[in-house]
Amino acid sequence: MKLSGIFILPIAVCAVTPIHAQSMFRGDAVHSGTYAGPAPRQFHRIKWKFPTGDRVISSPVFKDNVIYFGGDDGNVYAVHAATGHQIWKRATNGPVPATPAVADGTVYIGSYDGKFYAFNAQTGALKWKFATDGERRFEAKGLHGMQPKDQTIADPFDIFLSSPVVANGAVYFGSGDGNVYALDSATGDLRWKFKTGDVVHASPALADGVLFFGSWDSYFYAVDAATGKEKWRFHGGEDPMIHNQVGFQSSPVVVNGTVYTGCRDSNLYALDAATGKEKWRFFNDLSWVITSPAVADGKVFFATSDSSLYHVVDANSGKPIVRQQGKAYIFSSPVVGSDVVFIGVLNGTLEARDPKTGDLLWDFKVEKSKQNNGWVLTGDRKFNVPFLFHSNWREAPIVATDQQIRIGGIYSSPLVVNGVVYFGSADGFVYALE
Amino acid sequence: MTPAGALVRLIAILIVAVALPCRAEDAISGRWEGTARVPDDELMVIVDLAQENGAWVGSIIIPGLGLKGTQLTDIKVEPPDVKFAVKGPLGIQLNLRLLAAEKKLAGNFEQGGNHAPATLQKTGPPQVEHPPRNTPVAKELEGEWKGDYEMLGYTRHVSIKFANHLDGATADFVIVGRKHNVLPVDLVTQEGDLVTVDSHETGFSFEGRLRDEKLTGAIRQGAIETPMVLVRVKS
Repeated sequence: MKLSGIFILPIAVCAVTPIHAQSMFRGDAVHSGTYAGPAPRQFHRIKWKFPTGDRVISSPVFKDNVIYFGGDDGNVYAVHAATGHQIWKRATNGPVPATPAVADGTVYIGSYDGKFYAFNAQTGALKWKFATDGERRFEAKGLHGMQPKDQTIADPFDIFLSSPVVANGAVYFGSGDGNVYALDSATGDLRWKFKTGDVVHASPALADGVLFFGSWDSYFYAVDAATGKEKWRFHGGEDPMIHNQVGFQSSPVVVNGTVYTGCRDSNLYALDAATGKEKWRFFNDLSWVITSPAVADGKVFFATSDSSLYHVVDANSGKPIVRQQGKAYIFSSPVVGSDVVFIGVLNGTLEARDPKTGDLLWDFKVEKSKQNNGWVLTGDRKFNVPFLFHSNWREAPIVATDQQIRIGGIYSSPLVVNGVVYFGSADGFVYALE
Repeated sequence: MTPAGALVRLIAILIVAVALPCRAEDAISGRWEGTARVPDDELMVIVDLAQENGAWVGSIIIPGLGLKGTQLTDIKVEPPDVKFAVKGPLGIQLNLRLLAAEKKLAGNFEQGGNHAPATLQKTGPPQVEHPPRNTPVAKELEGEWKGDYEMLGYTRHVSIKFANHLDGATADFVIVGRKHNVLPVDLVTQEGDLVTVDSHETGFSFEGRLRDEKLTGAIRQGAIETPMVLVRVKS
């Protein structure tokens, strides 16, 4: 029975969706977070680094020897993978902390200007753009215990935009307006939209004709990709008091009939893809699971925010296999290369870990992180939380979060191609390491 | 040397010997203002140091970190060296040396394993702030009180046990959720029927009114306040 599970699913996925193994967020439409081919188990050198005008939260993707990504400077970039030289850039009217998808010669990506864009992958020429009902960040009264508690505050940790998935002539993405959209990928015409109760900044995953995504309304949804009709929904945790332990910011991965997703309610969930029934959950002691899990070799790889833990658990049971204490919050989604796992850390470090033991193989710190301006980090490279977050009044926590970001935190999920690992940093650079 | 001359010389030596440390300690006592030069930032630091009943006391103000009148601990004055700490989540340590000619204290500001050079200038007499002190509590408050509150989806059980002593009341403050947490309490007060128990180190506090044999109020964790009623545990 296991054999049938292993062999039938890839055939089914292939039949429904073309595989773009490195050309969309988390590699492919199911968001496996795995990359075939060589990956650097040792650090040799910086192959190149590419400067932009602001932080790079977006994750790079690869197609035909070109790296594509968005920048918080409002641009979408195409950069030569071998040299790091810019091929083109196109401006939007807002930051672009989303990851593009590249298919059929087109780059698809959303911007904080509330528009969704399709650019010619070779030239950057605009093919079409689509106006959503408008972008916004998750917000709530007294969010995370900030004061005044009756004031609505936008969430400084709602840092990503939804990244699109492309298949079957459609492009799917979530929006801060609470909708998930399905557009004709050739024309940008609306096929359908599905309304949730709050911001959708997670990236939908697609498997067997079903679109899977979570919303900040505390629900996780399965929707027919062809019609936009709901198949099931799963209720995550709620937090009416300070809205801290609520919402799906993590993007799901679908493997062997199971959907895995992190949640701000501190759980990593495994749900039956057909029914939405919970298979297991892994609780993380009030620490968010923002990372999108990667699944490889029957194991789920993910990490947590406040507790800064790197986990590997059994995909069938959720039983822990590896637990490693990290230094700082982890929002960057881990990727599994051949014999090495890469993950970014918000203290400005890219970590390479052994997939079996979780042991650190090597790490790379960006310059701003080493400088540690404003003592964002402690001497042992943890976040200097009491130094930064000494007030919860007004914008103080938001300013503190921005201070954290300025040391070059790595939110971007790494990309592995031909022995090179690519990622963006909040220091404004995209790095290629080998 | 005549006996009278020897006596005069001895007195002179004694005066100098006594006066020297006095002058050094007088020089250290005072309000000191300056900065710690954190990379790409400057922290204003104001320190008050004084001797009271033969012991050094002090408090610190750091506007950028929300500290005002926070007690200095582990004060060690060995002129010209002065060391002290600020306990709590920030965990600050200052190691300074008096530069008497310049009326400056200069040295190292340490926090979270980071080090920065600090220089403070004497600006006047000390204005040391003293921490609020525990008050006695009413006889009917003595003993153990229990209650529950819910936060982030699950219930926490709270126990506060009050006891009176000669120098004020104390309280054992325990919260049992997924873990058993014994909170260090640094302040217990009762003013009329209003009772407060503070654990500054953990950010937890309880405030309630003693009425109808119940303590009705709220538990606070940082900015999060949750209503809670404590009832007496029958012994």
